[in-house]
Amino acid sequence: MTDKTFLSAPENDGILGRQICFFAAFVLPVYKLLELPSVLSRFVGGDILLPALLQYILQTGVLLAILFAASRSEKPLFERLEEKFGKWTIALYILYAIYFLFTAVLPLLDIEKFVYAAFYDTAPTLFSFAFFFFFSAFVGTRGIKAIGRFSDLSLLLFVVPFAALIVMSLVEADASNLLPIFERRFEHTVSAITYTTPHFSDAVLLLPLIGNLRYKKGDATKIACGYGLGAVLSMVFLGVFYSLYSTIAPREHYAFAKIAQYFPALTVIGRIDLLFVYMLSIVLFFYAATPLHYAVDLTARCLGTKRRVWFAAGLNIAAFIFVFFCNKYYDALYAFFGNYLYPVFWAFAIVLPLLLLFLKNKKKELNNA
Amino acid sequence: MTKTHTPFVDTLQSSLQKNLQTLKKLLPSEDILTYEFQTQDKVDCALVYADGMVNKELLGALVARPISALELKQKTKNEGGRVATSEKLVKTTARFPELKTVENIDDALAEILDGNTLLIVDGIKTGFIAGAKLLPVRAVIEPPTDIAVKGPREGFIEDVKTNMALVRKRLKTPDLRFETLRVGKRSDTAVAICWLEGTSNPKIKEQVAQKIQSMNIDNVPDSSYIAAMLAPRKHSVFRCVGNTEKPDIFAAKIAEGRVGILVDGSPIALTVPFLLTEDFQSSEDYFISPFMATIFRFMRFFALFVAILLPAFYVSAQLFKMQILPLGLMLTIASSVRELPLSPSLEMFVVLLLLEILKEASIRMPKYVGMSLSVVGALVLGETAVSAGFLSTPAIIIVALSGICLYTVPDFVETGSILRWIYLIVAGGLGPFGIVLLSAFLLYYLISSDSFGTPILAPFSPLIRHDLRDTVIKEGIERLAERPLVIGSPNRTRFTAQKKQGEEEND
Repeated sequence: MTDKTFLSAPENDGILGRQICFFAAFVLPVYKLLELPSVLSRFVGGDILLPALLQYILQTGVLLAILFAASRSEKPLFERLEEKFGKWTIALYILYAIYFLFTAVLPLLDIEKFVYAAFYDTAPTLFSFAFFFFFSAFVGTRGIKAIGRFSDLSLLLFVVPFAALIVMSLVEADASNLLPIFERRFEHTVSAITYTTPHFSDAVLLLPLIGNLRYKKGDATKIACGYGLGAVLSMVFLGVFYSLYSTIAPREHYAFAKIAQYFPALTVIGRIDLLFVYMLSIVLFFYAATPLHYAVDLTARCLGTKRRVWFAAGLNIAAFIFVFFCNKYYDALYAFFGNYLYPVFWAFAIVLPLLLLFLKNKKKELNNA
Repeated sequence: MTKTHTPFVDTLQSSLQKNLQTLKKLLPSEDILTYEFQTQDKVDCALVYADGMVNKELLGALVARPISALELKQKTKNEGGRVATSEKLVKTTARFPELKTVENIDDALAEILDGNTLLIVDGIKTGFIAGAKLLPVRAVIEPPTDIAVKGPREGFIEDVKTNMALVRKRLKTPDLRFETLRVGKRSDTAVAICWLEGTSNPKIKEQVAQKIQSMNIDNVPDSSYIAAMLAPRKHSVFRCVGNTEKPDIFAAKIAEGRVGILVDGSPIALTVPFLLTEDFQSSEDYFISPFMATIFRFMRFFALFVAILLPAFYVSAQLFKMQILPLGLMLTIASSVRELPLSPSLEMFVVLLLLEILKEASIRMPKYVGMSLSVVGALVLGETAVSAGFLSTPAIIIVALSGICLYTVPDFVETGSILRWIYLIVAGGLGPFGIVLLSAFLLYYLISSDSFGTPILAPFSPLIRHDLRDTVIKEGIERLAERPLVIGSPNRTRFTAQKKQGEEEND
């Protein structure tokens, strides 16, 4: 057994099953409402729901594997990993810290573009988006408990604007645009799946939360149902979006900012939909800050320190510099991630979590669980 | 207990003159008076007290007069001649209900300074403390900051004993406990911690007592000093300690399981732990229909958002995102601001500053000039500034609306006012993105803030469904039979809800 002083989680840094369920249902889908609808419709047109469904089936499998591993003991998963692999867990944590930094890249680039498009009619200064990293660094300084609490709040921050935007957009939507189904060849669906792997590889984003969870009976069902609800909400959004925009959907970027803009009453009362878009943006900003938070958390765990401020500041400054210099190459980066880097996502978001199925328990622990 | 002078360990002596000399040396101030008199058989006695703080009439009638009529030597001799007998005789002769003994000079000094009277008798080493305190206090009236149309109208005053009595009047249970601590090296202020045994969380009571005892402060002029010291985050714009001027609210919070703090000299009582939703609750909500209370609470939440965000959104809409406004309104605003010399953010800044100055002046100024100030503020500054083309009408309307809305939640005015400025500055620099980002930041800050181990954004975050019954939605009294879980009270049941008719029959 490893000595517990260097790796164990800070005291009272707990998260509840319900909070992870809310995170899966209301935080994870938010990024899929941004650029994904336009990307998917570019590949598969009216068959937009098919690649999404297949991706979700795959991700649900990964999530179930993680939940299975977590449910076999009352001890948090990370604690068991540390007991099992000793100091080798550090290597695993470092690899995942790097991976989470890597997964933050596309959301950050997308959100920067989204901010400039949805929040400004005028040309903003180049440094406007830099302020996001203050928020992100602040999120990084707080523990996992704060993520749990924000997930509770996301119930309100996600559901209210999401419902409002969907209701507003339904007025002009035409579901027949989704027909006929299976219009495109299956190769297009496969290409859509590989290209959108970075968007869909989100079951692994639950791993650091489940890893800190002190498992209680019924938590796995709650979390799986939450993820399922998130999938349904995302797919409803994709369906409504394509019903509304049809063939011009690939050119409609930042979907949730545009989905309700043709609601007839807006000409009289102003762009009230933007208030809902802004409300949803709070969840989006939180989503983008989460992988950076995980990276900070895992690094701090490896070094056995609770003083995370410097890690949070350092990682966010690095992320800011990256975004600042790479936003010019947005399209190229996007294509590079979609066309060439998907194996990295498969390795870290699918293969490695599936290996948790082989994490054995001591007999005594199994009996207790 | 913290005191400025070195603790005087010496005890009182049997010689009256020596005791008086010592006391005069330690309390040389002119307002410390000594009244010397003799018993019937010429035993010297003295009363030592702080002038203006004691009820002299009562002291004369119940202490000085009976003792001066006493034949102390003779009676002591008759009953065995021991000193203990003299002590007993003095005690029984002084017909004072609140009489205790002191042997230490230091304790005697503390009692005198607290407004009590020391009686010393020649030949007796013990001093007698008569609780004849009569401090100048004002009447129990309705507090100006917390006016209720329906419900009790009593308010706390500056005297801690009166305030304790006002609480005791509402909670007539042996479980109601007070623990008085002395804080302030110079002020030696009485701070009473109040809790309900078996209902309040004992850990919180201990934490509060510990924090108060560890305070190293000269003077405690008001309870806000104690609140600042108790706050876990010293530089936060959000409060972490609740306050009220009304005993009915205070008693209700204590009965809910909170711990209260009463400070001598302050009419504002404190309660912990504090939840942000408390600011949106009014005592009246509990005396009117729950439907109406819910509507009022929604209104308060909405008004607060308007108060804080409207000026910021107005500025950011003009500078960065005109689409937010409907076309007709945008054209009207455009025509009003067309020839203004100031930028939208600077204009809003000026109008908001004027509002704050007017507010500050109207609080401080004598009442009889208040009317003229309103005329000057509203007509001269407002009307003429618009007609002269310095300011626009929409800006004045927005600031006026924001100012009015802020006062729907009186306990949040201070914080709301600061937030409004911050939002305005951010909106001027970053537009709607800044507003949204700042909101995200504040939310994250709030969810990670605790007040004595209780999350201040509860029951929304962490979500506690049970406690949502008395937040934005106010449910009927029968649904509030259990205390809020978030307070951590060991006794969950507030009352047993009455069964419905059908249920009784079934039983």
